[in-house]
Amino acid sequence: MSSALEITSRREGDEAAVLSLAGEVDVANTPQVRDAALQLVSAGVMRLVMDLSATEYMDSAGLGTLIGLHKRLKELGGALLLAGPKPRVKRLLDITGLDQILAVHEDVAAALKEDAG
Amino acid sequence: MKTSEPCRVEMRVPRRPEYVRFARCAAKTLALQLDFTYGDACDVELAVGEACTNAVEHVTATTSDEMLVCFLVEEDHLTVEIRDDGPGFDPHGIQAPHPDLEADSGLGLTVIRAVMDSVDIESESGRGTAVRMSKRRERQSA
Repeated sequence: MSSALEITSRREGDEAAVLSLAGEVDVANTPQVRDAALQLVSAGVMRLVMDLSATEYMDSAGLGTLIGLHKRLKELGGALLLAGPKPRVKRLLDITGLDQILAVHEDVAAALKEDAG
Repeated sequence: MKTSEPCRVEMRVPRRPEYVRFARCAAKTLALQLDFTYGDACDVELAVGEACTNAVEHVTATTSDEMLVCFLVEEDHLTVEIRDDGPGFDPHGIQAPHPDLEADSGLGLTVIRAVMDSVDIESESGRGTAVRMSKRRERQSA
């Protein structure tokens, strides 16, 4: 069965990276999202920007993965930064109150700017 | 789509993660065919995805490998029921996510309750779960 999600990543300096999720995030592919993110963390990434600008769908399984990554990075003294969520994902963050807990930025550039600061 | 008479559609769907997308996309397609607004059809998709995910996540060696997804089409409402024979849970014990994120379970039910007009959960330990939820169709302006 073909995947509804394309995951790509790029490093931004020594301790930052951008993980881009293009397509739909649900229970079928959250393990791949988690693995891709933890691989970056294992490689020394402390500030992880999750680019959600091309994420068309996300559910609570995806949110659970974001929560797990947020906790892991916080334990390490790092941070998970969400960038550019579309209205559907923004609404999900609002419904669950996670927009008050997770750092949400307008786009990747804004997230990296905070990251640098 | 003409909806003068109530109509029931049933699907038996494998309780596997890769089939959740099929079930939720079918729900969205039906809602759009029934002239729900795009936003409301997306809400139906999300709620069905959450309920199916719950069924998939609680599959065990002794439970059925299928879940039943039923759509009841009425003049002004679309009702969806997702039924499984999993271990069940206490729906009254599910709380909204706690701000400190110590417990991140319960997110799915929080989402379903937020996006659907009515939600009814029948669940008993060892006897499975049925999530029944409805969305009212808003009349489109001419």
